[in-house]
Parts: sequence; C-alpha cells; structure tokens
Amino acid sequence: MNWLNDNVNMLALLGAAAIILITVFVVAKYIKQMKEDKSTGELAEENWDGIGEYKNELPIGWSLAFLGTIVWGLWYFLIGYPLNGYSQIGEYNEEVQKYNTKFENKWANPDEETLMGMGEGVFFVQCAPCHGVTGDGINGKAADLTVWGSEAAIVDVILKGSKGLNYPLGEMPAGLLQGDDAKAVAAYMVEKIAKLGKSKNPDLVAKGESLWAVCAGCHGQNGDGMGGNSPSLKNYGKPEFVVDVLNRGKAGNIGVMPKFNDGRLSDIQKLAVGKYVNSLSQ
Amino acid sequence: MFHWLERNPFFFAVGVFIVIAYAGIVTILPDFMNSARPVVGTKPYTVLQLAGRHVYIKDSCNACHSQLIRPFKSETDRYGMYSLSGEYAYDRPFLWGSKRTGPDLMRVGNYRTTDWHENHMLNPAEIVPGSIMPKYPHMFKNVADIETAYAEALTVKKVFNVPYDKSGMPKLGTLEEAKAQALKEAEEIVANMKSPEVKEALKRGEIKEIVAIIAYLNSLK
Repeated sequence: MNWLNDNVNMLALLGAAAIILITVFVVAKYIKQMKEDKSTGELAEENWDGIGEYKNELPIGWSLAFLGTIVWGLWYFLIGYPLNGYSQIGEYNEEVQKYNTKFENKWANPDEETLMGMGEGVFFVQCAPCHGVTGDGINGKAADLTVWGSEAAIVDVILKGSKGLNYPLGEMPAGLLQGDDAKAVAAYMVEKIAKLGKSKNPDLVAKGESLWAVCAGCHGQNGDGMGGNSPSLKNYGKPEFVVDVLNRGKAGNIGVMPKFNDGRLSDIQKLAVGKYVNSLSQ
Repeated sequence: MFHWLERNPFFFAVGVFIVIAYAGIVTILPDFMNSARPVVGTKPYTVLQLAGRHVYIKDSCNACHSQLIRPFKSETDRYGMYSLSGEYAYDRPFLWGSKRTGPDLMRVGNYRTTDWHENHMLNPAEIVPGSIMPKYPHMFKNVADIETAYAEALTVKKVFNVPYDKSGMPKLGTLEEAKAQALKEAEEIVANMKSPEVKEALKRGEIKEIVAIIAYLNSLK
C-alpha cells in the first residue's frame, strides 16, 4: 500500500469519494422531490407539445443585471470596440515592452553566476542546434567551441585561414606561417596581444614577436584590427569577440553561421552567451 | 418579461444572427482588404523554391512543423517576429500546420543555413540529440520536379496575377529560362553543400530534391 502515502493519490481518492457521496445525496433528493412534490403556481400561455412552463419571473436584481449587460453590450458594439480598437498585436506590444523593461531592470548589473546561467540557457536554445549541446561542433559540423579561444585554436586558424566575418580586409589566407612559426605567433598573441595568461610555449614568445609583422599587416601592430578593418585580436578568447561574431554571423570554411542581430537576443544576453562560450574552452 | 420572444423562435434566431454577425463585421471587415494584401517585401517563390515547397508538402513536413508564429513573447523569442496574414499572400495553399511536433519553420531561413540543413536531413538525431524526426536520405537521390513547379508558377501568374516578371520580383520567363535560372540558384546552394552525389548531379544539370527544399527553407524569413 505504498501509493497511499502519496499526498496527491490520497487527495484524489478522497475527492472521488466525496463526489460519489454528494452525487448519491443529490440524486436521492431529486428522486424524492419527483415522487412527492405537487405542482403549484400559474402556467404561462405558451406550451411545447403539451409541455408547459410556470410563470416564474426573474428576481429583480437579476433582471437589472441582465438589462445592464444589454446596455453595456450596445455601448461596446457601437462605441467601445469600434472606436477603441483592441488588437492582439497591440496587447502583445504592450506586454513585451513591459517585460523588456522588467528584464532590463532586473539584470542591469548581473553578477558572474547569473550571466553564466543566462548564457547557458540561451546557448542551449540558440547555439546548441549547430554547435552541439557540449559545444564540440558535432564532429566538425560547426566550430568546436571547446577549443575556440585557446592557444591551439589560434595555431589552427593560422594554418587553415579564416573567413566570413565580413570585415573590409576580407579573407585570411591559409598557411601564412607553418609549424613552429605558427606556434610562436600563437604564443606571442596569447601573452601580449589577447593577454589570456601564460602561454604553453613561453620560450617561443620572443620568436613570435619577431614574426608578428605577418599578422600586423591586417590586424595592426597592437592587434586592435586597425580601427575596424579586421577582427580585433585583443578581444580574442573573450566574450566581446563572441558578441562580435553573433552580430556579424560567419560564412566560414566549415559552414555558414547566421547573424543574431535581429533582436532575438538582447545585448546582455549576447554578453552572457559570450561568457558561457568562453568558459567552454577553459 | 421575454415570453414574447420565446414564443417566436424564428425572430429569436434572426435576432441572435444579427447580433453575432454585427460582431463579425466590426472585428473582421475594417482591416480585411488591408491584411489580405502582400506585406511590403513579400515576393512570390522562385521556381526552385516552389519545387522545394512541393517536396515539403510531398514529404508531409507540415504534419509536424507549423508555419505560424503567434504574438506571444515565448514564441517571438524563439522563432522571431510574429506572422502577419499578408505574408502568406503567395502561399497556395498556406502551410500553417495544425500541430507542432517539431519547431515552427515560419522564419527558419533566419537562423539555419544550407550546411546545417544538409547535415540535419541526413540524420536529425545526430545533430539534435533526442530528435524524433525521421531521416530523409531519399531527398539526396530523388530529382526535384522543376517542370511542375514552373507549371504552377505560370498558372498562378496567369490566373491570379501573381507578380512574376515584374520589376523587383522573381523572373519566370519561358520554361527554358526558368530551368536555367533554377540551375543558377541551385549552384549557389550546392556551393555550400558537401555531398559529392549532389554536386555531380548538378554538373549533369540535375537538381536533387534536397537542393530544392533547402532553397525553400532558406527563403522562409
């Protein structure tokens, strides 16, 4: 009898018993009334196939409410609705505006934990369909976000090139540097440009600096993207870079990522996604 | 008080009809003409997109996917702007659907791309864990029916004055021109695809169903 310990089951059984009891009493009452009651009162003139109706006028309050409703109905039909123009879209707009104001007030200064939670939620709805639930890119079908932002990913981009963010300077060709040279530049970028912390190859940083000119041609000496002509490498591996990709979309080597700048995500949500994506590779 | 009305069921029925009909007139008529016209920027489907639409109907996509976004925040957050009636002006028939086993596709062109559709149609469960959508590998084998799509486009152009060949609208022209145009559009899509089968077929001048349906899905914005 384990299931009797469950509150919901208990309530349902009690309810069922109560309904049966009440039904029995009510039915018995009416059967008794049908057997014993005599009809009294004055019959109305109309009858239907011999079935008549007593003159049993409405209580006065009820009649007044009924007449009041008719008057209100006439007002609503002729003036209320046509001149005030209710619309579903209008109600939607008001509700959304109210919600957005509330949302902005509530999350005006979110802490890290809130941002991560928000980012995770948005990621599962908007990003996971292509990048996978874990962000691994589903066997190369989309960018592997568990690698993105790391030193290894920089080496990968230098070897394979990159395109599709739609910056004025266009596509980054593959193989600008090879082997250790690519690793060296990645090490330099991690430590000095993006400032992501310690490089895995600290001894290559100096060599990377001497080779940086290859990158500086497009990304600028300090990696800031020459005033919007190419992606700012200072932001690489940071939420701001993800926000930039969300706004621009990316027609890259793997496939095409759509833009997310149609108002589906608010600025704070984009930043939250950036934080979450960033955390995947750490 | 109302015995006189109850004694005259016919006039009672007429009264009820008038009251309800008036409500209909007030709520529906004022904006009817306006909302039935195409929304600015709505264009008829190109022949390739129309062929894809036929595949969509043939494989019964509309049994599980709706194309109607209601004005609720929960829907517009996920699917984009709510639908307007004028956006369906060139849909014959409209594909609102009646059930969402899968997500709404009204604006899928805004947030999914060619390569995603290609991977997804081959094996939906691989892309979306837990998805119950069946696989559609036959779309990579079957050839899209461009002739029928052209016939439909030409019919709606002649019978319903759908504005093909007008400035800023899709070109239709003769069957040969339409086929050439469809091939050109197909090339742009196949450029973003991986399947060697589909690529080779296109070189022979064959457009596979998958290309047509991706053209259609990408046009849903």
